[in-house]
Amino acid sequence: MTYLANEVIGLTSVRRALDFGELMREHRAMVFSVAWHFLHDRELAEETAQDVFLSLHTHLAGIETSAHAGFWLRKVAVQRSIDAARKRSRRPQVALEDVAEPSVRPAAGDPMLGGMLRRLIATLPETPRMAMILRYQEDLDPTEIAETMGIPLGTVKSHIQRSLALLRGKLERRGVGER
Amino acid sequence: MDWLEQELAKALARKEPAAGFDGRVRARLHRRPRWLAIAATILVMMGAGGEAAWRQHRGQLAKEQVMTAMRIAGSKLNRVQMQLKGTEQ
Repeated sequence: MTYLANEVIGLTSVRRALDFGELMREHRAMVFSVAWHFLHDRELAEETAQDVFLSLHTHLAGIETSAHAGFWLRKVAVQRSIDAARKRSRRPQVALEDVAEPSVRPAAGDPMLGGMLRRLIATLPETPRMAMILRYQEDLDPTEIAETMGIPLGTVKSHIQRSLALLRGKLERRGVGER
Repeated sequence: MDWLEQELAKALARKEPAAGFDGRVRARLHRRPRWLAIAATILVMMGAGGEAAWRQHRGQLAKEQVMTAMRIAGSKLNRVQMQLKGTEQ
């Protein structure tokens, strides 16, 4: 096969890999979940996720692979979610004190515990909240989180450690823990 | 990972947006060119308006030049007439 033919096939496969619809299907759960866990507001999260994909459509020519798109989308989703929270210009909708005391105390593995944890995460300040989402939703290590958020590695590590200690303390005070 | 980290990973697992998300994004994408078209029309209209103003400005200049030329010619004629009158007397 000639060099030119190989080039054409190569370009075609790249073009196919970067189909906007496919990228949306592949990455929409990640983008929406970053916004949803951070904003704790389904409607605002949907709008933010849509904005992120509209931005991807504008920048599609500069995106090389699907993995590149995923990295780019995560970074933009983080930034847009922070911007949306600032525009909303109020503290997280749930205050830590307002997280209801469950009538039946959930234990590890209980689906009720998941809802409680999400509400507790929503009460954390901006930076530690996003660091926790990237750590436990996206399974990123602290170095990747620092790169995505554009903050020092030490800051990420201390935010995660302090947030975990805070959550553990809150849960223990509510009598929630490992059975 | 201890129990709390495992529970966090479960609680923060990725979720799909409401059904029809892709369609809603595409709908917003298709709404965009209308704004682009409106912006382009405004620019063209501004360009056309600018051209008309430029033509009017050039017309005004030409008119002023003709008037100046006529004033000069008139004063020259006046001077020649005066000289003619002087030689006759």
